[in-house]
Amino acid sequence: MVFLGGCDLNTKMSTFDTKGPIAETQLDLFMLTVWVTTFIFIVVGGVFVVAIVKFRERPNDDRPMPSQGHGNPLVEIGLIGASVLLLVIIAVPTLQAIWYTHDTPTDEHSKLGNWYPGDDLAEGSEDEVLVIRVIGYQWWWEFEYPQLGISTANEMVIPAGKAVHLELRSVDVIHSFWLPRIAGKVDLIPGRANAMWIQAGDNIEAWTEKNGAKGSELELQAAYNKYLEEEIHDYYYGQCAEYCGDSHARMLFRATVVGDDDFAAWVDSERVGHTAPDGMAWDEWYKIYDSKPESLTGDLNEGAKVFMGRGKCIACHSVEGNPRALGVAGPNLTNVGERLSIAAGWLNHHTEEDVLIEEEQYANFVKWIKETDVVKPGNLMWKANGNGIGELTDPDNPEQLKLLTDEEIHYLARYLQSLK
Amino acid sequence: MSTVTETPAPSTHTEDKHVLKPERSNLGLMRPDHNKSVLIDWLTTVDHKKIGIMYGAIALFFLLVGGVEALIIRTQLAFPENDLISAQRYNQLFTMHGTTMIFLAIMPLNAAFFNFLVPLQIGARDVAFPRINSFSLWAFVAGALVINFGWVLQAVEVMGLFSASGPTAGMNDFVPSMGWFGYAPITGIEFTGAGTDFWIMGLQILGVASLSAAMNFVVTIINMRAPGMKMMRLPVFTWMTLVVSLLIVFAFPAITIALAQLMFDRTFGTSFFVTAGGGQPILWQHLFWIFGHPEVYILVLPAMGIVSEVLPTFSKKPLFGYAIVVFSGAVIGFLGFAVWSHHMFTTGLGKVATAAFSLLTMAIAVPTGVKIFNWVGTLWGGRVRFAPPMIFALGFVWMFMMGGFSGIMHASAPADAQQQDSYFVIAHFHYVAIGGIFLAVVSGIYFWLPKIVGKMWKGKLSIWVAIFSTVGLNITFFPMHFLGLLGMPRRTHTYLEGFGWETYNLVCTIGSYILAFGIFLLVVDIIRCVRSGEPAGNDPWDARTLEWETTSPPQVYNFGRTPVIAARDALWEHKHGPENRRITYEEDDGHGIHMPSQSWMPMIASLGFVPLGLGLSLMQAGIPYMGYVAIFGLFMIALGVALWAIEGPGGYHLHPEEEK
Repeated sequence: MVFLGGCDLNTKMSTFDTKGPIAETQLDLFMLTVWVTTFIFIVVGGVFVVAIVKFRERPNDDRPMPSQGHGNPLVEIGLIGASVLLLVIIAVPTLQAIWYTHDTPTDEHSKLGNWYPGDDLAEGSEDEVLVIRVIGYQWWWEFEYPQLGISTANEMVIPAGKAVHLELRSVDVIHSFWLPRIAGKVDLIPGRANAMWIQAGDNIEAWTEKNGAKGSELELQAAYNKYLEEEIHDYYYGQCAEYCGDSHARMLFRATVVGDDDFAAWVDSERVGHTAPDGMAWDEWYKIYDSKPESLTGDLNEGAKVFMGRGKCIACHSVEGNPRALGVAGPNLTNVGERLSIAAGWLNHHTEEDVLIEEEQYANFVKWIKETDVVKPGNLMWKANGNGIGELTDPDNPEQLKLLTDEEIHYLARYLQSLK
Repeated sequence: MSTVTETPAPSTHTEDKHVLKPERSNLGLMRPDHNKSVLIDWLTTVDHKKIGIMYGAIALFFLLVGGVEALIIRTQLAFPENDLISAQRYNQLFTMHGTTMIFLAIMPLNAAFFNFLVPLQIGARDVAFPRINSFSLWAFVAGALVINFGWVLQAVEVMGLFSASGPTAGMNDFVPSMGWFGYAPITGIEFTGAGTDFWIMGLQILGVASLSAAMNFVVTIINMRAPGMKMMRLPVFTWMTLVVSLLIVFAFPAITIALAQLMFDRTFGTSFFVTAGGGQPILWQHLFWIFGHPEVYILVLPAMGIVSEVLPTFSKKPLFGYAIVVFSGAVIGFLGFAVWSHHMFTTGLGKVATAAFSLLTMAIAVPTGVKIFNWVGTLWGGRVRFAPPMIFALGFVWMFMMGGFSGIMHASAPADAQQQDSYFVIAHFHYVAIGGIFLAVVSGIYFWLPKIVGKMWKGKLSIWVAIFSTVGLNITFFPMHFLGLLGMPRRTHTYLEGFGWETYNLVCTIGSYILAFGIFLLVVDIIRCVRSGEPAGNDPWDARTLEWETTSPPQVYNFGRTPVIAARDALWEHKHGPENRRITYEEDDGHGIHMPSQSWMPMIASLGFVPLGLGLSLMQAGIPYMGYVAIFGLFMIALGVALWAIEGPGGYHLHPEEEK
């Protein structure tokens, strides 16, 4: 097993590289079970090996027949007692952890009113922690922030060091929310209101205690902020963990953990959404679009026309700010140009340092629009459009819409890239 | 039913039975007794030994099928973003791999051992209900056909001879693709096609087969023991058969109900599991696992029974703590019904239920640990001989321990939240299933095949089987612990590069081919033994239990005269024990041995399940006239059962003493 020992355990979805109290509790418990079972393994396995070696038959063995004893009650009761004892060592912290990981804490640091810089919270939510409604679809994720009135898809943004309450819902089959470095999984089951809480990074008390940090309140706060920025602010990888049909393997998601101010800024930009191309107001743009669309020129205008028109994108997708893009069957595309991945985390366009690469983003948009069924077999965008939007269509299938030309897809990709 | 313990009714059919030619049944038809055609003889047999051999042969076939499915899965996963097979095909393969291995390979392999060994171990002539035994076998075959029928359709479609359009448009996927535990609502009509229907009907039929076999064995073990074979003198394997049979009787009704509800949801539009109609998908998980967890013990307890026979034989010592091994087997069986929700720790059970199932799951580790302690205790102070069965039994103890340890890790619910539905779980249950059950079954094959075919193993190929299968198993499944902990979810047909999973996956795939080669060598070794082994003699291993007292292979009537048992480990005591513990034999009463007549009817009745199952499945998919096929199947079952009842028990007498 030497070759395994050399492998890196700090990978993108490693449960060893914990970045939050829940994953840490779960890892501690796991390691406890590892030590206890390793101890049993060494003792029992050792006796087993000794027995095999010591009592093996030798050539020309003329020792007398082994004693035909049927057992020893004292030895057996002793062993049962010992195993019960070893299990209690695991059982007590297990119970503590079950209680700890189940109920969302409502500590002062996590209450929205105490950290969210904006003044536009839904009424009564100052004393609540941030709530995100996670909704599973075949095969993507919707993340709704009911207290903030926004909704995004596949890439959630959460504040560092704060408890976040997740309401887990599914509209079709069972999915499971798994963000390994932050928390173990909980299932999204249709007809059932599941919930969990997650937290990226410790809060300041836990951090102070753990590190034995000393100093004035200000110094501590500064050191704590530094810890959050250096160790916790990051781009985390998650994936659906319950088999949910054809493209289960391609139902990934991301969580971007940011500081309070960045979080508020992100919420603002989600709320404002996007203007029409060239900074035009939507009313004005639609007026032209409805009367003489040919006068809207340039890549982005062409793309926007496909998005509103022949692409039928708005039937399923919404974009904040755009009064006609109100579809709800597909992911919300507000700020989709900012996301580092599309197609539920399958098509990525960023560097190792999580910097967006525009050419790859463009190529991914084109690939996704043209080959939705290749990227994600069985998905709704493919099925609902009579098997495809792009031109790589099946000539024998008259029901298939030959919707978009390569040129139109090029414009559409450029337009989507501009949504940021 | 005609059995040894019943006095045959004084009718015309029981006179002069030593004239061995077939007779007419009450229907006026010839009974297929003493048939010259080997085929007819095997198809109509009611002999538990032949039935056992058929279970074993069919199970080995499905073991290879499931193995090939696994190899395709592993090949697909060897590299990131591999596109050897499509997502849909991959999903079909892992579903059928699980279903095949559990229901069509391990369970019938266990049934093969039950059938062949239990009557011999308890000194009986046959099981209590020989014709029900035949019915169980053919019902199992019918279920296997129905479950796998989708592959036939899929093959026909791939060859371009058939496509799902027009009246067959409802059959958008033919092979089950919802995982072997078929969680609702993905089994619903809007998410999966005809494959799910084949799966439902196939499992339902297999349930009939398992239930009828289980009841047969409960009755056999309780009622058919030879004089002096008290319960606490039963060989441990027979004890485990009894526990497993009771588990089947109590566990299968849960899945029978669940499958019936699911079938109603799909075929008749009910809403047991459909949220929109007020149903609850989570209900399926409870019903399934209340069956599914005992099922785990249904698979593993016979393996423990095999090992509990092999270890004492090759240590020349009685099993350490016989009573406590038997008792812990029963406790495992009982507690097995109280831990089902540990499969559901991530479904949001709530704190108290999670805690309760967590603690109960830890509790079940105690009787399991007791067994391991007692096996080690059996070796201690013995004389350990590394014969082929022993090598695999020792391997079992070692590998099963590994699987048990990861089981304890799952028992801790918060830790399980990271492990559930990841490759860690795959590693866990394959250590139990291959490292545990499979190695024990191979040990059992090496131990009992000389008894079954009367020939001894040739050469030392068994060593290579052991090396390749254990090395392969560890290379395949040990890295999966790490894969799971590094975040790879199970049931994913491919994965992206850059998550640290590439090396592990490639290693796993290489390991799976090594393991497959080990299994290939096993098949070669079995064929060599059966074709050209030297005669084995009655007792080639200096064994301990009653089956080694009779000839190899045993005569159709098992024992010429009923043995009278005076001790546990009857044969060992007979050979090495004091005078008062020897086996004696009942006096010959001059009537000979009453043998049951062979019959076509059990097979006709159970093969009626094929048109019934296929008809109902295809009817659901919208194929015309399939309802009539289903009705025809029902009629065939009813006819088989009715004729079976009317033809009468029959039977004839053999006089083994005279033949000598």
